[in-house]
Amino acid sequence: MWKFILRRLLVMIPQLFLLSIIVFMMAKAMPGDALSGQEINPRANPAELDRIREELGLNDPWYQQYLRWASNAVQGDFGISYTHKTPVMDVIEDRLWNTVFLALVTLIFTYMLAIPLGILSGRYNDTWVDKTVTGYSYVGFGTPIFIFALIMLFIFGFALDWFPSGGSVDSKVDEGTFAYVVSKINHLILPALSTALIATTSTIQYLRNEIIDNKIKDFVRTARSKGVPESKVYSRHILRNSFLPIAAFLGYEITGLIGGAVIIETIFSYPGLGQLFLSSVSLRDFSVVTAIVMMTGFATLLGTLLSDIILSAVDPRIRIE
Amino acid sequence: MKIKSYSKVLSALAISSLLLAACSDDTEKSSTKEKKGKAVEQVDASKFPTKTTNQGEPIKGGHLTYGLVSDTPFEGILNKVFYQGEPDNQVITFFDEDLLDTDENYVFTNDGAATYEISDDHKTVTLTIKDNVNWHDGKPVTGEDLEYAYLVMGSKDYKGVRYDEQMALIEGMEEYHEGKADSISGIKVDGKKIIFTFKKANPSVTTGLWTYPLHKEYLKDVPIADLESSDKIRKNPIGFGPFKVKKIVQGEAVEFEANKDYYRGEPKLDSITLKVVNPSVVVKSLENGDLDVAEVLAEQYDQAKELDNIELLGKVELAYSYIGFNFGYYDKEKEENIMDENPKFGDKRLRQAMAYAINNEEVGEKMYKGLRFPANSVITPNFKYNNKDVKAYEYDPEKAKKLLDEAGFVDTNKDGIREDADGKEFKINFASMSGSDVSEPLARYYIQQWEQVGLDVELQDGRLHEFNSFYDLLKKDNDKVDVYSAAWGVASDPDPSGLWARSAEFNYTRWVNDKNDELLAKGISEEAFDDQYRIDTYNEWQELIHEEVPVIPTLFRYQLAGVNERVTGYDYLAGRQYQWHNVGVTK
Repeated sequence: MWKFILRRLLVMIPQLFLLSIIVFMMAKAMPGDALSGQEINPRANPAELDRIREELGLNDPWYQQYLRWASNAVQGDFGISYTHKTPVMDVIEDRLWNTVFLALVTLIFTYMLAIPLGILSGRYNDTWVDKTVTGYSYVGFGTPIFIFALIMLFIFGFALDWFPSGGSVDSKVDEGTFAYVVSKINHLILPALSTALIATTSTIQYLRNEIIDNKIKDFVRTARSKGVPESKVYSRHILRNSFLPIAAFLGYEITGLIGGAVIIETIFSYPGLGQLFLSSVSLRDFSVVTAIVMMTGFATLLGTLLSDIILSAVDPRIRIE
Repeated sequence: MKIKSYSKVLSALAISSLLLAACSDDTEKSSTKEKKGKAVEQVDASKFPTKTTNQGEPIKGGHLTYGLVSDTPFEGILNKVFYQGEPDNQVITFFDEDLLDTDENYVFTNDGAATYEISDDHKTVTLTIKDNVNWHDGKPVTGEDLEYAYLVMGSKDYKGVRYDEQMALIEGMEEYHEGKADSISGIKVDGKKIIFTFKKANPSVTTGLWTYPLHKEYLKDVPIADLESSDKIRKNPIGFGPFKVKKIVQGEAVEFEANKDYYRGEPKLDSITLKVVNPSVVVKSLENGDLDVAEVLAEQYDQAKELDNIELLGKVELAYSYIGFNFGYYDKEKEENIMDENPKFGDKRLRQAMAYAINNEEVGEKMYKGLRFPANSVITPNFKYNNKDVKAYEYDPEKAKKLLDEAGFVDTNKDGIREDADGKEFKINFASMSGSDVSEPLARYYIQQWEQVGLDVELQDGRLHEFNSFYDLLKKDNDKVDVYSAAWGVASDPDPSGLWARSAEFNYTRWVNDKNDELLAKGISEEAFDDQYRIDTYNEWQELIHEEVPVIPTLFRYQLAGVNERVTGYDYLAGRQYQWHNVGVTK
């Protein structure tokens, strides 16, 4: 087991290395740089702009820039953001926690909704309950998040005014107080719920199908014929087995949420990594873009590893050697 | 000093940190009837109020919420010497300001924190900072503080883009910038006085002189290279404006409290909250009172004008859209624009015909919901230098056809498309930017209009180009681009040299002309300190541009702000927009 994890971690190194080259080349292939899209003063000597470019090393060939960048990156230094004028890690750190909180709350909401619904619809399949749940999950599957989030925002943020319509915290409350925590959570609910409500589809469907499959399996028939009460048949025999794929997907879900927060963060003006990524791309802030891609890449690799580990932990048939 | 730079204008949705465009719809009714006789100068900023009408007495302890409309958050570099994006600039205006005020023509006045005097030979400018002007920590603002700003911007360690050619006109500035001197010989400080000596008299000094000081005592311990990332700039900035920064929530909000010692008097408000709002929710937030003041984008104008609880204020934006022709290339070695010997669009009748073929009024009304209006010149109408006698090219397809016939562009093989003067196939490549909902239909419209007068126009690569790729195309002087449509945000300084001079890299058309050189030079000569002389010069220059049409100016635009009816004393006009001490609330 430990050997396996170690091996997987070691394999990540060439994977990340490859990713970094691709990302770096693609970032450099984008037209323009941090200086060109910005308001440039034409009265400034073009030589002056060239001087800044030269100083930032933007005129060097890409492999030189890459080597410079990579040798710093392995030491955890992703350089300075040109637009933010501060080390990239500082810029990211400010927003990372916002995104992590949002992802966690979204995940909790998703499972809180999806698991009971999946169980209901699997247990009572082909009844009106099942049809309603399946209907909901299909609607959720077909609804684009950017429309749904806007509708949620207008209903709960504006029309009913139950939740704040943007930001991550009320600027009037002081850090460290109880009110601060409440305000943070209050700002999280609406974006998290908007994502969760339409992210439930796969979980509901996996759970439902697994339950229906398991219901007619031999071991369930055996349990029933032994006189095990119906509720126990479900909780002990069917559900345990049906949760396997859900558990296995947990790792992927987490990475998916971090990468997929771009739209929701933009709509709710929620300052997280997704929003930062988007604005950094449009402002050609390469150092931030590459750092975020590397981080999400790393998170994805970790997520798949996590999924494998969970799977081996919950399914005794799977053993990692 | 106001925004000093030109900028490439994007559509509102592209990179919204640059410019938020909005316009008026006032031409809707009148224009259909009197299409022909409608002169451009009829459209002026007075069609929108620029001030709030609420005359009530502001309440004590008032609080106001300001919406910073942007889909990119502010970066938090809260100093004019260092900031990069427009959102940061807006945050700065609440707690800090330039030493000199400007009037609605962007010319310096003596009403601000300092007064200025120009010597008889126009080569020395003396600034005297008023006695009661103090930093938020109680220390007086001194001449040394302003000098420090120059020392920082001229330094090798400075990575911003604010060091410009006008600064280089100060005596000794270049030597300092190149590291040959430790100080700037042309800047002399005497307590609250600071004297600038210029190598050459230039009337742009009355609009473009840098007068934003840095708190030297507070900042001097931080190495210049580290200033932009230091907490003293980012987290605890000190200014001398009407409000103090109380708290910053990185990237999303700022809390301000009144600066009771403000030199113009105590602000009427107790506190201001600034929030970053996504453009898509601005109108809703204005409607339910979450925001008291916010810019309104053109896209939301229809919804915004329906609201009862807000007043819409408007002014003409410092920007123009245009269609440019490609005449040549930029020679990096010589630092000069070079025109091709035989440019494709060398015949001005061809360019004029293309101008007559499009109906800018219709574009403004239909595509921009009547929110933009035809541009008569490349000097925006908010300057007194805009030549009102120059009329925009009006839609006249017959005249266009006639001009083309005269120029020898006739359809020789009867396929409905004109051949060039030598009877050869004549194809035009047209490049345009993507970004807003109108980009695509607008590009198609232009092509269709030109086709109707018999010109074969194709969209470059068959698609629109994203902002950066588009300007990359222009910068590389790509020969494939014959005609392009773009926009410029212009500076508060009327001098157009930065975009039009022979040496200007931003002169993307690469059009050069001796008369143009002469007039641009005259506009910033010593004689041009005489305003009438300068107006005459720029009038002549605009006539030249109108006649030669190196670009077809297409549209001017309005900028709008929605202000809650409880707000008093807010003035949207340039020069007064940031006088937050006058603003109060009555409820």
